[in-house]
Amino acid sequence: MLTDSGFWFVQVLNSLQLSMLLFLLSVGLTVIFGLMNFVNLAHGSLYALGALFGYSIAQATGGMWLAYLLAPLCVMLVGAILYILIIDRMRKAGPMKQVLVTFGLIFVLLDIQRYLWGTDQLGVTSGIPFSGSFEIFGEIYPSYRLFIICVGLVVFAALFLLLEHTRLGAEVRAGVDDPETASCLGVNVERTFFVVFLIGSALAGLAGVVAMPAFSAEAGMGVSILVPTLVVVVVGGLGSLKGAFAGSLLIGTTLTFGQVIIPSFASMLMYALLVAVLLIRPSGLFPARG
Amino acid sequence: MRSLISFRPALAALTLITLLISWTNAEYFGMEILAEIAVLALLAMSLDLLAGYTGLVSLGHAALFGCGAYSFAVFTAIWGWPASLSMAAATLLTGLVSLVVGAVVTRVQGIFFIMITLAIGEMGYELVFKTRALGGDDGLAGIPRLDLSAIGVDLNDPGIFALTLILLVAVVYLLLLRLLGSPYGAVLTGLHDNAGRMRALGLPVQLYQTSIFAFSGALAGFAGTLSAQHTMFIAPQLLHWTTSGEVLVIAILGGLGTLVGPIIGAALITLLRHELSDLTDYWGLWLGLFLILVVMGGKNGVVGWLEAGWRFVARRGAQSKSTARRSNDAAG
Repeated sequence: MLTDSGFWFVQVLNSLQLSMLLFLLSVGLTVIFGLMNFVNLAHGSLYALGALFGYSIAQATGGMWLAYLLAPLCVMLVGAILYILIIDRMRKAGPMKQVLVTFGLIFVLLDIQRYLWGTDQLGVTSGIPFSGSFEIFGEIYPSYRLFIICVGLVVFAALFLLLEHTRLGAEVRAGVDDPETASCLGVNVERTFFVVFLIGSALAGLAGVVAMPAFSAEAGMGVSILVPTLVVVVVGGLGSLKGAFAGSLLIGTTLTFGQVIIPSFASMLMYALLVAVLLIRPSGLFPARG
Repeated sequence: MRSLISFRPALAALTLITLLISWTNAEYFGMEILAEIAVLALLAMSLDLLAGYTGLVSLGHAALFGCGAYSFAVFTAIWGWPASLSMAAATLLTGLVSLVVGAVVTRVQGIFFIMITLAIGEMGYELVFKTRALGGDDGLAGIPRLDLSAIGVDLNDPGIFALTLILLVAVVYLLLLRLLGSPYGAVLTGLHDNAGRMRALGLPVQLYQTSIFAFSGALAGFAGTLSAQHTMFIAPQLLHWTTSGEVLVIAILGGLGTLVGPIIGAALITLLRHELSDLTDYWGLWLGLFLILVVMGGKNGVVGWLEAGWRFVARRGAQSKSTARRSNDAAG
């Protein structure tokens, strides 16, 4: 099995697919980190909400396409409420209080999810696009996982264009670089924060709803994905798109191949990687702020 | 200000007396809760040294707590060492582990410190979770308690065990108060307020941070040995980062950097958890809301509120005294 090229090719696809999910999650988090210096531990809960909203919408409409569109919008709405009620007021409070408030938020959102959707694993069986599979190097591979990879790449391309070629992108880059100077030059940094937080929330929701048909949804899924996401953000470097992408690929590959080569200690490998990166490059691989 | 400095020890004495009074009224279940409070109070005080006084917020503290608990369990239940020797050895071992970890993690600051402690703590969790010799995800059972029958104390009695733990909390509180009042304690507060300035004063900042990390870790390990003796069964969840988060919650709800706050926080959270989980399936929701409100309230937890109240009362008292004097002057 270990010398079979088809097996390894499938593992490469698996690692790409995990990397793209991590990318969708971490890109919002990293820009929120870099732009607002805000530590949002509740980001994983938004991912779970995306999957659960997606489940309900798919149940109601009988297909996934509307869920892909509406679930991120619902999560964005939740993000807007959280921003207005909590995040905005905690912006200047320092990392420790932010960690605590968003840690409290994890509990609150988890119990709300358990109340609304129960504690069972929820999955959709019908109406999934690309539900077939194809054969490659003698291995059967589900097409849906390729779809996840494509979504990640499309979002990366869209964000790259948004950041490099629009006014909002320029404002975000200026805000990450030096928020005070940016606001002196007439950039409404407050509004930029808000928009970035909404986009980040929507992307977390998108990750959730895209992952749901492949991995099913449950109330606790946000907590277990949070730590790998944080690792991606820190390894990649706060606030940079390139960092989030590189970090996702690195961590996704480490986790997938770690699982194959030393199954028991795959996540230890990830933590060891984080410690090594922090000790060699204390601000991550591609930090937005030098 | 003077009245505030003596306010905290008075509050600590009051807390201790409350715990002792509830001990005299407690039945079997109450004793278990009191022991749980005491263990959490010790752990939260050790984190307060690090997060509250030195400004090093660690999300890996539970792993050190678990290190103490697991090494105690291995020494007693597997290797058959006597409990007293095992307690000392487990505390020392956790201190050594913390020394090595502290030397590494203090090289980064701020949010990166939070992340690197989380990562190292999770490595410990994974290690225990996946190691069959340590019971893996089943945990370890059959852990004995310290045998003090030579001096006529039976720790297997839940009441005696709870009382011993409460007295231990008092002793540790006094020792830590002494430590924080020393020049070493002043350095820790200085590191919290402005590490850069302390470095400019010629202080080996990292050395001090490493030393307090090691000391705080050893204390957490000591609390771990007590936790293992309390429940007589341990599971890897003890080391998980969410446990570290809960201890941080305890310290901040009580009041960070006050030393008595963590004791009050431990009592409050443990009681809330038991009361609320009887009333509702969703106690996490209420705990989370409570936590958010306390942190957003801006005061330093329960101790912060009480101090603000005390200041208000004291100012009112001083005002009425001075107006009385003024009216006397006018009359005279």
